[in-house]
Amino acid sequence: MSGSKRDWSGNAKRRDGPKPAQKQVVRNAYTPMFELLRNELDEHHDRRERIVKASRDITALSKKIIFSLQRVRKIESQLPANIQAEVDSRLAEISKLLATLAPEIQGINRYRYSRNLMCLEELVEALTFAHYLKTQTLISHAELSPIVEDLTQKGAVTRDGEVMGDASDTAGNAAEPAEAPTTEDLPTISLTEDDYLYGVFDLTGEMMRFATTSTALTGSMASGQAAGAGGDEPRTIVQDMHELGTFFEMLPVGPESRFQWYKKLEVTRQSVRKVETLGYDRIVRGSERPEGWVPDLSTGDQGQRDELE
Amino acid sequence: MAPPMIDPALFDQLKSKIEEDTNVRKELDQIIDELNQHVSYTQGVLSRIHSTPRSKYEALLGQVENGIKQEIQTVGRLSAFASQYPYYKYNHKWSRTVQDAISTVILCAWLGGMSPESKPGEVGRLLTLEDVGKAFEVPVNLKDRDAFHITIEEYLLGLIAVVDDLSRLAVNSVTLGDNAMAVQISGFVKDLHAGFQVLNLKNDTLRKRVDSIKYAVKKVEDVVYDLSLRNLIPAQGSQ
Repeated sequence: MSGSKRDWSGNAKRRDGPKPAQKQVVRNAYTPMFELLRNELDEHHDRRERIVKASRDITALSKKIIFSLQRVRKIESQLPANIQAEVDSRLAEISKLLATLAPEIQGINRYRYSRNLMCLEELVEALTFAHYLKTQTLISHAELSPIVEDLTQKGAVTRDGEVMGDASDTAGNAAEPAEAPTTEDLPTISLTEDDYLYGVFDLTGEMMRFATTSTALTGSMASGQAAGAGGDEPRTIVQDMHELGTFFEMLPVGPESRFQWYKKLEVTRQSVRKVETLGYDRIVRGSERPEGWVPDLSTGDQGQRDELE
Repeated sequence: MAPPMIDPALFDQLKSKIEEDTNVRKELDQIIDELNQHVSYTQGVLSRIHSTPRSKYEALLGQVENGIKQEIQTVGRLSAFASQYPYYKYNHKWSRTVQDAISTVILCAWLGGMSPESKPGEVGRLLTLEDVGKAFEVPVNLKDRDAFHITIEEYLLGLIAVVDDLSRLAVNSVTLGDNAMAVQISGFVKDLHAGFQVLNLKNDTLRKRVDSIKYAVKKVEDVVYDLSLRNLIPAQGSQ
């Protein structure tokens, strides 16, 4: 029980007296205008929240794909079955998330939330890495875009069959419950050049880690399959890293964020250096190794610890 | 022969894309620079309001309107150019300048400038987001298509700058003997403060700037308090 209020002469005021009119939000000539603006802003904030959530999940799943891929030991056209299965199941999940994301970032909203869409870089990193492990080439932006669009639309189709748990889906999905939509009508996610480039920047780090572990464990530099009889020596990952390094050195600095660009470029340079050293070690000391010798893995790991993130 | 690591066409594609991006930014920088000059000039002229008695507003506001015309013209150029590209890709480049331009227009109108013929020189008129859009001849709060427009945030941030300026004017109008102006400003600033309370703000720039309104309210209230203490408030309050 709190103390009672008293009037100026000290007499306690009755508590059960008529309550003062319920405190109203002060309304004035401008209140309706602010209420309209509030609704608009709320819509924006809510949408951003949904995007951030989906984006975070996609990032986590992409990272898991990358971890799976790091368990691959050599470049060949088929990923080991167990790893391929892991990748596929993650991709299926990503696909669903992309489908929920797509209607939110159509048209003008694509760039409005681009800062909340870091997940696309991460996804690019995972997809380019998988592609490299299978083909030993860098997938181009033009080839990758349709893949991401495809993933997005597939996610929408599979999700359609289920009961939609997410009731907060907005206008973009209004047409969906109609008979099975053709994929062409579904909103999709366009991959910007920046998403692609920054994803590929990160790819160099993954290639460096892959080069390090695969060399350490197999005792030979990851390379393509020997090209038939009498062909050239197959390309090794050292050459690929060099080419990627040169690729970025020759590109003009991306103007979106020079700071970011230089930071990523510097990391790329370091990765190239590390793989170079690896190649050198193989040539110089490799011959001294007895057949079947496996290096101490703990030292192999040290080199990359700072590169993990 | 195995395919090369990187398709040469990829390099060319990305290079030309980056170059295009860089050129767009250069062009935008030029337009925004120009807009900045007009805005600074207009703000400069507007700052004379603090030393101008109300009877001479008309002449001063005429000068302000000239500056605003220049702003409007440049915003038109900006709009035409920027609308060719994704709006939010470059919006951060001009957002600040456009906010300042919006402030000049809102303040000018509040002081009685740019007024409709029916009510010339009426003090205390608040331009809405739509009014500001009409003044600049650009759309506002666009959602259905990707083109240049004025955003809600830009309008609100511009409005907050006006509130701050008005709190200064409250002090100076009293110095100039125009106590009614201080009282009117007090009512207006309090109403806006209440209005901003209606918004659900996130922890972003807008929230930080909205927080500053309370200092403007305090400043204006102090002035009104001083006046009422000395019975200096004109009998016909303009609230």
